[in-house]
Order: sequence, then C-alpha cells, then structure tokens
Amino acid sequence: MVGIFDLAPVIILLPFISFLTALAIGNRLPKGGALTGITATGGSLLIAIATAVAVSGGRVYTATIYTWASGLDVVNLTFGVLIDPLSAMMLVIVTLVSFLVHIFSLGYMNDEGEVGLPRYYAGLGLFSASMLGFVVADNLLMAFMFFELVGLCSYLLIGFWFREPGPPSAAKKAFLVTRFGDYFFLIGVVAVFATFGTAAFSGSGSFPALAEAALLGEAAESVRTFGFEPQLWFTIIGLLILGGVVGKSAQFPLHTWLPDAMEGPTPVSALIHAATMVAAGVYLVARMYGFYALSPTALAVIAFFGGFTALVAATMGVVKREIKQVLAYSTISQYGYIMLGLGGGGYVAATFHLMTHAFFKALLFLGAGSVIIAMHHTEDMWEMGGLKKKLPVTYYTFVTGSLALAGIIPFAGFWSKDEVLYETLLHGLDGNTILLAAYAMGLIAVFFTGFYTFRMVFLTFHGNPRSETAREPENVGMNIKIPLTILGILAATTGFLNMTPVAKLTGLHIEFLHKWLEHGFTGLTVEHYGELLHDVAGYGATGIELSPILPGAVSLGLALAGFLLAYQLYNVPEPVAHTDRLGSLKTMVYNNYYQDEYQVWIATGFTQPLARVASKLDQGVIDGVVNGVSGVSLFAGSRVRRIQTGIVSNYAALLTLGLTALLVGLGLMGGWFV
Amino acid sequence: MTTRPKLKLGSHLLPGLAAIGLFIVMTAAFLSASFPQPQGFPADANITASIGYAMFNLNLGDVAGESFLAAFIIIALTLDVALDGSIHLARREYSDSDTSVITDGGRKLKNHVFNEGDD
Amino acid sequence: MLTPQYYLVLSAAVFCTGLFGILTRRNALLFLMSVELMLNAANINLIAFSYLWGNITGQTFGLFVMALAAAEVAIGIGIILVLYRNFDNVDVTDATTMRW
Repeated sequence: MVGIFDLAPVIILLPFISFLTALAIGNRLPKGGALTGITATGGSLLIAIATAVAVSGGRVYTATIYTWASGLDVVNLTFGVLIDPLSAMMLVIVTLVSFLVHIFSLGYMNDEGEVGLPRYYAGLGLFSASMLGFVVADNLLMAFMFFELVGLCSYLLIGFWFREPGPPSAAKKAFLVTRFGDYFFLIGVVAVFATFGTAAFSGSGSFPALAEAALLGEAAESVRTFGFEPQLWFTIIGLLILGGVVGKSAQFPLHTWLPDAMEGPTPVSALIHAATMVAAGVYLVARMYGFYALSPTALAVIAFFGGFTALVAATMGVVKREIKQVLAYSTISQYGYIMLGLGGGGYVAATFHLMTHAFFKALLFLGAGSVIIAMHHTEDMWEMGGLKKKLPVTYYTFVTGSLALAGIIPFAGFWSKDEVLYETLLHGLDGNTILLAAYAMGLIAVFFTGFYTFRMVFLTFHGNPRSETAREPENVGMNIKIPLTILGILAATTGFLNMTPVAKLTGLHIEFLHKWLEHGFTGLTVEHYGELLHDVAGYGATGIELSPILPGAVSLGLALAGFLLAYQLYNVPEPVAHTDRLGSLKTMVYNNYYQDEYQVWIATGFTQPLARVASKLDQGVIDGVVNGVSGVSLFAGSRVRRIQTGIVSNYAALLTLGLTALLVGLGLMGGWFV
Repeated sequence: MTTRPKLKLGSHLLPGLAAIGLFIVMTAAFLSASFPQPQGFPADANITASIGYAMFNLNLGDVAGESFLAAFIIIALTLDVALDGSIHLARREYSDSDTSVITDGGRKLKNHVFNEGDD
Repeated sequence: MLTPQYYLVLSAAVFCTGLFGILTRRNALLFLMSVELMLNAANINLIAFSYLWGNITGQTFGLFVMALAAAEVAIGIGIILVLYRNFDNVDVTDATTMRW
C-alpha cells in the first residue's frame, strides 16, 4: 500500500491540470471546461477518500517533494506534503465540496448561458489546486504561498463579471483587505524562520516542538528569541500570523470584504467564501495548534475576537435584504465560533464545527443559488415568498441546512456549536474572564443566529409570493438538485460523528472525530494539545467538572427562542419589515457599523497623504541627488567643450604645451637635466 | 604715400611663449646629454656616390649605410600622387568650359576675371 | 669637428622658430612656410647624427624628407586654395566652423 500516499501530489495536480486545460482549449470544449473540472475534482475526491481510509488505519505520511532553496547553514526552503488525520479530513471536505460545486456550476453557469466559462472553470480549477496544496503543506512558507494563491483565485473569481462596476471593485477590496492581514502573516513567517531556523509543522525538528522545548528551558541554542522572554516572543509571532488568519477568515476587523465578495457567482461563494478559502485561516491555526497552545495570551485573543465577531456579524445579518448577504454575515459569525473554539481550548470542537459548517454553509449557498436561478437572478428576499411549493427539493435541503446552522438538535450544527461553547465555558470557569466574556458573546449570538436564519427561510419560502417572478419561478435542473441533496444528507448526519454530550452521559465511545484526531505525528495529536493546554495555558488545571447537559440546553433554548421569534414575525402571509422599528439602530447595523467607511478613510485620509509625502521625498531628494549628479556632469561637459575653438593655432598651442610638459616630466624622472 | 613695414606686436604673440618654453626645455636636454666622439667620414670618401648607391641597394659606396630602394620607389609614388592631388584640389568648376587642366597660359582665366571686373 | 650639441641646439632653434610661426601667424601661406621650417629642422638633426655615427643612412633619409616636404607643400597649397574658395580669406583664425 505504498502507493496511496505517493499519490498525494496527484490530488493537487489534477485540478491544476484542469485549470491549464480550461485556459488552453476551454473555448473548444463543449461545456467550457466543466467536464474536465468535474473529472479532475472527482479523481481528487477518490484519492482523498482512499488517503483518509489509509490514515484511519493509523498511518501518517510526510515527504519533501522539492527543495527550492537550500541554504548553507541556515534554512532550507522546501515544498512537501504532510498527511495526518487533520489534513486527510480537510482533503475530503475540500474535494467533495469542490466536486459538488463543479456539478452545480453546470446548472448555474452553463444552463443560464453565461459567457467566459473557460475563465470560470480555470479559476475554479486553480482554486481547488491551491486550496489542496495549502491543506497538505508541510511547512509555514509553503502554506503562506498557497494562502496567497487562494487569495488570487478569490480575486479572479469574485471579479468574474468584470464588465459591471460592482464585481471588480469587490474583488479589489477582497484582495486588498486580505493582503493587509497577509502582510503581518509574512512578517510572522520570517520571524519563525529567524527564531527557529525551520518552519516545518511536524517532526522533532519542527518549530512547535522547538518552541515547546524552549519553554521548558531546553534547546536554548537553536531558538533565538531576540532578547524577549520566550513566551512573549512566541505570543508576538502567534499574533503576527493571526493577522493573516483574521484577514483570510474574515474576522473582525478584516471582515469587510466578505459581504462584498457576494458579487461573484453563487457557486464561487459556496466554494470559496463558505466552505474552503475562509477555512484556510482557521485551518492554519489548527495546524499550528501545538505552537498556539504555548501562548495563553494568543489563545485568549483568538477566543475573544472570535466571540466578538460571532456576535457582531450575527447582529448585522439580522437586517439584511439580500439572501446572499445574510449568508455572508452568517459565515463570518460561524467562523467566529470556530476561532472561539480554538482559543477556548476545544481543538476537537473547533475542527468539528469547521467540518459541519463547510457542509451546511455550502448547502445553504447552493440552495440560495438555486433560488436565485428560479428568481431570474434577483437576490432581494422582499421580492420572494411562497417558493416552498414551487421548489420542493431546494426548500427541504435549505431547511435542513438552516436547522443545522441555527443549531437545532439533532442536526449537525447543534453538536458542533454546542461543543465549542461547552469547551469555552469549561475552561473559562477556571478563572479566565476573557474566555467567559467570549462565551457570553457566543451564547448571545446563538439567539441572533436562530433569528436571522429563520427570518431568511420564512421570507424566501413561506408566505405569499410578493412579485411576479416569485409567482412563476424558473425550474431548476438535476445538476442543481443532486448536489443539494447530497449536502443535505451530510448536513443532517455529520453531527453524529462526535456527539460529546451523549458520549459523556452514556459512556459510549462514539466520539469518532476525537478518536480520529488522536493518532498521527507526535506533537500533532489531540492528546498532545491537551497536555500543552493543561500545562502551559492552564486550561482544565483546576479540574472543574461540568456536565454538558446544562450548557447544551441553554444554547438549544436560545436557538429555539430565535426560531420562535422569527416564526412569530415572519411566518405570516404578508410579512412586514419589523426591523424598521429599531430605527437609527437599524441604520447603523445596516451600514455595518460604518466599518467600510472607516476602512476607506484609513486608505484615503491617512495612507494616501503619507504616500504622497513619501513620493515627494522620493522625487525630490533621491531623484534630485541622481539628477544632480548627471547635471554636474552635463554642466562640466558644456564648459569643457569650449576648448574646441576651431582655430588651428590654438590646437597647436595646446599640443606644444602638452609636449613641453611631457618632456619636462620625463626628463625629471629620467635624469636628463642633471 | 606708403608706410614702412612695421613689426606687428600684440597679444596675438602670447602663444609663442609656448614655443620658447619648448626651446628652453630641448636645449637643456641637449646640453646636458653626453655623446660619444663623432666618428665622421673618411677624408677621401665619396659621400654623394655612396648615397646614390644606397638608393639602389648597391653596396658599392665608400661609406656604409642601409639600403633605400623601397623607400625610393615609395617616395616616387608619393610625389606623383601629391602632384595629382594638388591639381585635383586646385580644379575649379567653370560653368562655361569643360573641367580640364588649364593649358592656355591663363588667357581664359584673365578674360573671365577682368571682363567681369569691367562689366 | 664640432660636437653634435651645436647642431642639436641649432635644430631646436629652427624648430622652435617654425613653431613660433605656427602659433602666431594668421596667414595660411606663412603657416605653411613655418611648417617647412620645422621639417628642415628635423633634417638638420638627421644630418648631425649621420656625422656622429659615420653612417650614410641619416643623409639618405634626409633626402627623402626633403622630397616629402615638397609633396606636402603641394597638397598644402591645394588645401589653402579650397579654404580660400570657401571662406574668401586665407586667415586661419577665420575658418572656425569645426568647433563646439
């Protein structure tokens, strides 16, 4: 069975080949490159499943594929793959969602007669390849490079309909905002190299292992902390890398790009901005968790910002009009939960929520895409209504996804979100007030999540149709319904993978995900993280026991309360905009707390004048010096050339003088005159 | 009434100081040099005959020397070329005659110049 | 006989007289005469050294130099003719178009 792990690079190469094919001959292919994309992602999916099967047997794998810079005594820069339970799970998720999105695109793009399809499928192929490369990256620099690549693909795909004014501007905004975060990430990568001399994730020479050794007081020679205390320096590095994570996973304050990214086609939103690319940031934290677990400050920051984002985004989602906007803010909010889970010490919980969220959010986006096709590309929910009878498959899968999102038992979202909140509360009760505050914010956000989710469902599918298109919606084909069904089943059943409360109550060993993440490379397992969290960060140190029933019941209750409020207000034949009653509060929330305007001000009011001053410095001083040097040369030349007077006698005079001087010189040196 | 020729003095003579400087340097070099005794020529040697023999690579002269036949031929050629060159440079393009060497003793030129002056 | 120094000083004097003429004279024909003087100064040098070494080479070479001087003057007068045609003047300080 040596074969399957050696095929790991093929997982990445297949979508890349589909990218090249779509670019080169996409025009001549019948569906513009869709079929090559479907075959490629299907092939990658099969290999990913086989890899996961192999990993479940207890095997892990790492290999360096290519050394692209080998230093003499310093760092080596390599490309390699790392297959362990976390990356195998993520591989399956990414390939599955990518495969389903490719099939869905046949219905959304091809059947709707879009132009420029080769460019679209090329973008999807490149994105899949980049994301898969990121997932299997075995060192931080390779992860960074693929991180940037997925950002590029996001830019290309958001701006797909570039002939209109909205999409290119949204693409630029997405790229710039994430780039701002990636700047800190890059500094963090350089800091890792400078401190540890390596950026590898796994093995005894990996930087988490070295950091752990440095904290214990060993390995002092190989770890340079530049005069800081080791833990402080590791916190700084962790926060720098967190900059990239915050940007890519659309956390506060770099969340402003994600709602605008909805200008792209809906399958792109499903793939990139729901399930995979925004997962890249939190996946990175999970990958490096052995490093983050060494710094309680960084964990507290992650948890607090996660909880805060979850709450703020949920409040913003309550007042939106367009279906994709609600889902965008929902994505921001749910990734806040995952960050909360990671910061709160619930590694398994956060990974679990990452997985379930990928499925149900992709499902919701694809469902929204189906609704948008039916409504002839209108997205405003106030023009929909009564689509329940006309689009049954869409309706039932969408409701499944919504139940999962809101966290209603027994759907997937309940188990994962509940576990996140439980772990945070458990570790917060050790006396960690930041975690408790974050838990409180996450808990309040559960109410809002339930409310906006079902507001969306009721406005779209229930009630009377509010416009002509809602009365006569277009039918959607099988290539839309099949992905929806598959994802619907997953959203309903994935929760059973790790039902911690049931396991704790009954003593059954049904925590499959926990077991899955238990083996692997030493230093990358759940037990090791648990030890680190206990020893270094103090999570669980006081040994408080808490039954998962009560927190679970509280969060379920809040979710149901949100559902009931939405039911009261919006499940009526003619709903009205009840949010108008909030008045100026609604204006502020609708304008996203003026975050967009604030960021534009940073660019134009602050950075641009600074850049102007720097430009003047560059033109005036630096260019002035260079021009001055050339000016001196030109001036000297224009004066010296006046020796050429054109009068022969002058030339003769100069000759004579020169000859005399030469003779005098030679004579003095040669001793002629003595 | 004519004036006697006057030696024109003025600032235009200043570059001549360079020549005087060169003379001083050269004289200083020559006077401080040491030469062997001049060997001179034998009293009854026929020097011009020797030069003639040297011109034609014949070693029949009384005084020794190098042979200059090649230089002789080359100088002959050079003189020929110089003559033709000066004629070519001196040629003037007359509009009323063909471009040939003036062989009329200058009559046409005289008519050309003085008739124009008379008109 | 006299030591060569006398001849050399004489040659230097004639050379520098010619050089003086080149540097100060404005008429092109007088310029040419000065050039002739310089050539003949070199000739004196050649003859002096021929006497010093007792070799006929110097004198033969001197003959060639004379022939060359004649050729050169022929060409020089041709050039002065052309100069006159273009500038209406044989003043060497007047022909200054090849300048900066």
